[in-house]
Amino acid sequence: MPRITLHNLLIPIVPNVPTVPFSKIHRRTPMNKFLYDGTPEGLVSAIASILDGGGDPAQAHLAVRQDTLFEEGLFLRTDPAAAEALFQRLRQGAPDAVYTLWYFMMAEVDDLETSLLRYIALAFEHGDRVNGYLTHADVKAIVATARKAGRELHRMKGLLRFEQLRDGTWLARMEPDHNIIQPLAQHFSKRLRGQTWFIYDVRRRSAAHWNGRDLSFGTLEQFTRPELSEEEKAVRQMWQSFFKTIAIPERKNPRLQKSNMPAKYWKYLTEKQGE
Amino acid sequence: MELQEKITILSGAARYDASCASSGCSSDTPRRGTGNTSQGGICHSWADDGRCISLLKILLSNDCRYDCAYCVNRSSNPVPRASFTAREVVDLTMDFYRRNYIEGLFLSSAVNVSPDHTMEAMVRVAEILRNEERFGGYIHLKIIPGSSPELVRRAGLAADRISVNIELPSSESLRRLAPQKSKEAILAPMKLIGAEAGVSLVERRKSRKAPRFAPAGQSTQMIIGASPETDLQILRLSQGLYQRMNLKRVYYSAFVPVNDDNRLPVLAAPPLLREHRLYQADWLLRFYGFSAEEILSDDAPNLDESFDPKTAWALRNPGFFPVEVNRADYATLLRVPGIGVTSARRIIAARRFAPISPEGMKKIGVVMKRAKYFITCSGRPFERTDQQPARLRQSLLLGDGTEAKVPRQLVLPGLG
Ligand code: SF4
Repeated sequence: MPRITLHNLLIPIVPNVPTVPFSKIHRRTPMNKFLYDGTPEGLVSAIASILDGGGDPAQAHLAVRQDTLFEEGLFLRTDPAAAEALFQRLRQGAPDAVYTLWYFMMAEVDDLETSLLRYIALAFEHGDRVNGYLTHADVKAIVATARKAGRELHRMKGLLRFEQLRDGTWLARMEPDHNIIQPLAQHFSKRLRGQTWFIYDVRRRSAAHWNGRDLSFGTLEQFTRPELSEEEKAVRQMWQSFFKTIAIPERKNPRLQKSNMPAKYWKYLTEKQGE
Repeated sequence: MELQEKITILSGAARYDASCASSGCSSDTPRRGTGNTSQGGICHSWADDGRCISLLKILLSNDCRYDCAYCVNRSSNPVPRASFTAREVVDLTMDFYRRNYIEGLFLSSAVNVSPDHTMEAMVRVAEILRNEERFGGYIHLKIIPGSSPELVRRAGLAADRISVNIELPSSESLRRLAPQKSKEAILAPMKLIGAEAGVSLVERRKSRKAPRFAPAGQSTQMIIGASPETDLQILRLSQGLYQRMNLKRVYYSAFVPVNDDNRLPVLAAPPLLREHRLYQADWLLRFYGFSAEEILSDDAPNLDESFDPKTAWALRNPGFFPVEVNRADYATLLRVPGIGVTSARRIIAARRFAPISPEGMKKIGVVMKRAKYFITCSGRPFERTDQQPARLRQSLLLGDGTEAKVPRQLVLPGLG
């Protein structure tokens, strides 16, 4: 497992969060409803404010500010330093919970903030054992969400397909449900380290690039797939023949195939072109 | 012959091989090379039969000198023959690996010319991949029975996993159906591999630089239903292989009749359910602390068709139940039908916080449809556990206690 920093959590999601000086919330706020700006960093920082401010996580509610007239709740401004401090403390006390948090962030869900707040409070209380507290509804929600992201990451390590372009670089396209490009690119920077490649998340327009030595991330607004190399076409055909003949004809089982490899992933699978 | 055609012939000939796993071992990859092996097995695709594809599974040649009764490639069959050159297999592996189609190569072969001739050609493929292409991905080599110890050693040094097929569950069957292979020719390399792997482990504890010998271990495979052995005989054999030969995995392959041969049984369909039950029982041997003798007995030497082996054991041992989930230890929890390794671990982790209630069991993800007949939560039973065995059988069969449908019948092409 790679070492995670707070930076890891934030990079792929929202790049430019304006930083606003931290204003301390009132110790005894009558309300227990809190709002934040909708960014991941804002989320971690809001959780830090509530926990540091002595709020009772079991009573508190946390949600994204919608800016409607009737919205109630105390808006917590994003404080990067507070977010960082909370993150460091969590890493010390519950390193596994940090991984859960990392995967949870990849899921990009936006209605589990309150559960996350309670999960993190429990992680400070119980350390890494928190991940076993699945009878607790909030822990269950966070761990299940994180697990789903982890499963898709694992699946995509197998299903991602690289194509060789005319200029010899390699391109892989995908449309995963979760924002997994960062750990996925780390995986391939070890596996395909002798090649120069791009991974492109078509849905989020985000890209990872490996130049043979370093990994970088960015967004691509405009994208057209370049021409494939000549060799590429020949190899694809060989793979397609292999794929067809390796199945035992007497044991055909399209249902099982689909449940293991849902059709939503077929779009970029070489062996499933033309189906 | 076109490469494309060779692929079709030689992957078609390899498809009946059951093992697909490429799993669980980390490797020190050469720094500039291509590839690594990953912990915990990655599947790259699923074939039309629903099986996972993780390796380029292929024969080096299907041009066989031997004449095993059950095999498509036997010398007396009029099938098209083909052989790859070492370079062709190396290039295919690299081309597929670079595109992330595969985790690596699984190379087997028919006996072409002689066991040593074939084994030497296979080892060369692995050595070129490792030394010239600096390939760090997964390599599984089949050992041809009767090949020399020196070649077996070279295979073990180049590959992550090596395996010798035991082929059939008894030496009588082997004599009858694969007369050119002998029990000794199969067991000798198995023993050698076990010994070499042991030596390598000891050496590597002294120095990280000592060579690795088949770090992912040794596996084997046998055909089920082509010969008359009982399930008990088969499980005893597997148990011995795990305990005495230190095998990582035994694969079972339902016999698919591809030849007309009066030495072979006539089956309406390949015994898929039996294969499935054997895998379940094998799982009980490896991870659940069961012995072959607990699962089956001389009076009832074959696995139950209606129940998975753990449920069948539970029905025969009502005295063991109900199990109290808030107190039972890990090994006891594992004996409950429907509770697997994951569920048992989760139960133990969750009950540290508070006793688990029936709703709690569902929350942590334990599938209750079979388990509910065999457990209590803080003394509270889920179902009336004083049910008579016959009634309990009925509930399990009729209620929602049955498992997902296992295919019993094959849909034959043209008849479906
Ligand atoms: S030696 Fe192998 S390939 Fe040849 S006939 Fe026997 S099983 Fe088939």
